[in-house]
Amino acid sequence: MIRIIYCFVLCFISISAYSQTIVIKGGEIHTGLNEEPFVGDILIDGDTILEVSKMALKGDVIVDAANKIITPGVIAPDTQIGILEIGAISETRDGDSNMYSMGFSVYDAINPNSTLIPWNRSNGVTSAITLPDFNWDPLSGMASYFLLDGSLRVNGIADIALTGEIGAVSSGSRAESLILLKDLLEFASTLSEKDISSSEKISEAMEGFEVADLMELQPRDVVALYNLLNNNLPLIINVNRASDILKLIDIKKLYGLNLILMSAQEAELVKNEIAENNIPVIINPFDNIPDSFDELASNIRISASLEKVGIKVMFSESRTHNYHLIRQGAGNAVANGMTYTGAIMALTSNVAKSFNITDRGILKKGMKADIVVWEDDPLEPSTFPMKVFIDGNDMDLTTRSSRLTERYVDKRDLPNTYK
Amino acid sequence: MKKLFFVLFSLIINVDTFAAFESTYEPLQSEKILFINGNILDGEGNELLDTDLLIADGKIIAIGKGISVDDKDVKIIDARNKWITPGIIDIHSHMGVYPAPSVRTSSDGNEATSPVTAEVWAEHSMWVQDPQYALALKGGITTFHVLPGSANLIGGRGVTVKNLQRNTIQSMKYPDAKHSLKMACGENPKRVYGNRGQAPSTRMGNFAGYRKAWIEAENYLNKLEAYDAKSDEEKMVESPPKRDLRLDTLSDVLKDEILVHIHCYRAEEMALMIDVAKEFNYKITAFHHGVEAYKIADLLADNGICGALWADWWGFKHEAYDMVQANIAIVDQARGGKGCAIVHSDDERGIQRLNQEAAKARAAGNRAGYDISKARAMNWITSNPAKAAGIYDETGSLVAGKNADVVLWSGDPFSVYSLAEQVFIDGALAFDRNTGFGPVSDFDVGIVDPREDRVND
Repeated sequence: MIRIIYCFVLCFISISAYSQTIVIKGGEIHTGLNEEPFVGDILIDGDTILEVSKMALKGDVIVDAANKIITPGVIAPDTQIGILEIGAISETRDGDSNMYSMGFSVYDAINPNSTLIPWNRSNGVTSAITLPDFNWDPLSGMASYFLLDGSLRVNGIADIALTGEIGAVSSGSRAESLILLKDLLEFASTLSEKDISSSEKISEAMEGFEVADLMELQPRDVVALYNLLNNNLPLIINVNRASDILKLIDIKKLYGLNLILMSAQEAELVKNEIAENNIPVIINPFDNIPDSFDELASNIRISASLEKVGIKVMFSESRTHNYHLIRQGAGNAVANGMTYTGAIMALTSNVAKSFNITDRGILKKGMKADIVVWEDDPLEPSTFPMKVFIDGNDMDLTTRSSRLTERYVDKRDLPNTYK
Repeated sequence: MKKLFFVLFSLIINVDTFAAFESTYEPLQSEKILFINGNILDGEGNELLDTDLLIADGKIIAIGKGISVDDKDVKIIDARNKWITPGIIDIHSHMGVYPAPSVRTSSDGNEATSPVTAEVWAEHSMWVQDPQYALALKGGITTFHVLPGSANLIGGRGVTVKNLQRNTIQSMKYPDAKHSLKMACGENPKRVYGNRGQAPSTRMGNFAGYRKAWIEAENYLNKLEAYDAKSDEEKMVESPPKRDLRLDTLSDVLKDEILVHIHCYRAEEMALMIDVAKEFNYKITAFHHGVEAYKIADLLADNGICGALWADWWGFKHEAYDMVQANIAIVDQARGGKGCAIVHSDDERGIQRLNQEAAKARAAGNRAGYDISKARAMNWITSNPAKAAGIYDETGSLVAGKNADVVLWSGDPFSVYSLAEQVFIDGALAFDRNTGFGPVSDFDVGIVDPREDRVND
């Protein structure tokens, strides 16, 4: 009997989920494309956007968004959401591997119950790219992409990009890192599909390449190198100094890399070269501090000046717990010269496009329904989301933080027994 | 005759203990300026729309509607549709002691060689050419307080500084402002020393460390006072107690001459620190970071202790896990609004936009059910930090007679799009966004392109 009720409830939920369409009505829609916002309706069916229109649309469930602002869900491009709970507690961090380098995947470590997920979701982030720790190797592990829907079976794309780092090192020389990068890529360029078909073949392929020994490459590292050159895998390089960026551009051209620059505090000095080579840049829009001698040209107008020459800009935030602050960062970029539309694109479609995520980041027919309805201007940090949809699901916006707030706004001194 | 001799003798002693490192600050050339028709948040909780502000001789002369000045030399600034606030004050900065670039050779904020280093002074570490001061100025910061780091139980003296970059620390020091004493609870000291197999390695070890230090300070102060109480004849034959730099600082706290600022995250630790202060009869001015301050907001209000807090930082340590964005609002509104809340930065990026951090904290508070005005929230970054730095009588709000530390904003300072257009320190223009007038540190000169300054905003 209990089982029957259970089935009845479950069936009802699943049937209703498929049968009911949702219309978000009358909001100011920012599509994430390079176009002016307009007032209109968005029709959602299941996990998909069925229609975005200036005309009135009909649906089963109406979400009144009059005087609200609607954007695609924010996509966070370089987080550690899901693989980091508390910074100072290493047992809660899963971003580092002692065994693997390029072949290290963080995907299996993602914790869908991390408190960072509801927190960032309630602030408008609907999906994130999570990166392994940087360890000053020119090439290190792989980044994964996932939805912040909290599903225990993680919804995402494993190993969406490779990561690496070039720049100042406390011992040794950046020249050494650049040589190492070239040697690794030279080795990668010799690999054929047959070479990576088995461990034996991989071992054979590694013979004669000192760099493979030097880096103690494992079979999965070699496969990652193959994918980098043959499957257009995006390569995120954390780099700042202008001269290093130019070297990377040369290397990109030589090996046909799908290069993405990250941090890039001196990108402004070489912005034309970056633009000509169609290289997206992930930038922290708050960061105007010359934190190191690699970042002396850092300034608050970088976002605007890169946008102006046509570079695809994305935003980062140094504190992964509050990664959603990239929208405050976006507001600061606008205050310092970036276009509003460009800032919204930097939070949404530019990330999707740079990482080959073809079905998200834009509000248009056929895309997955990752949508945020904002109380007001999303680039004002005092604005909060009113509704967050991921894959068409109206997400609960409760967070551990909102629960704690309720316990302490009043009756603070009650014993926990009565809270 | 004998008496006169003793008086002279003690005068000599006084000369001998000349106050080292005193401020030699001198303001820039101030102007007589009438801001007309501006929207003013005065730092006293008032919003005054379409109001005039007159400053002259470095002071605020008048604030009100329709101020007329019969003086050809007065400069008129049309502030219509713009906003005017007091100069922003950050009570927790490490500019100068952790300057940019962040290199080991200039990383001078933590004397992490002993858990109690009350003898060190932050001002002796400050690099005057830190390029970060000028960036903070562009965010409206006119005054900031530089603290030692939190590696130690007692980390040393902090200093209040005018944001007017000069070639000596003395010339930047806020005249006659009290020092602070930086103390730290929790994870940092026990990690730093515990990792070396040394005390403290636990939170209880931390508390033993504070109390031992204060017992020493009490003994020292007793000796000093006993000596002071001696007759002049006795002083002739007995030399005063040997001076101890570490205990000088701690006994000055017991004499109420130094303000106590404590890095402390957890509610129960803050409550314990209040008891330590009562045990040794000193006052705590503010808890800093206090991610859990909201849990004991009433206790803070009852004891007149400010919470110097972030709008939303969390998660970097276990003690920073229970973040609520309404923290600042809850502390502010405790006991019917008797709380003292401060938005602090502890960060070279955050210090450039404390107004935005206050905006977030206010919005979160109002979402939690409070009704906090912008005028009230402005106190969190002006008058309240001024009180916590002991300089409220001179600055921190726009009141006639106070120093003319003023920011003219392009729009509502609680909007992300508003920028500080002009910043005045002691009535003198220190930064002007439209003309590019403002300080350039020596570090910035010719370092990227020899013909230019690093930052050419």
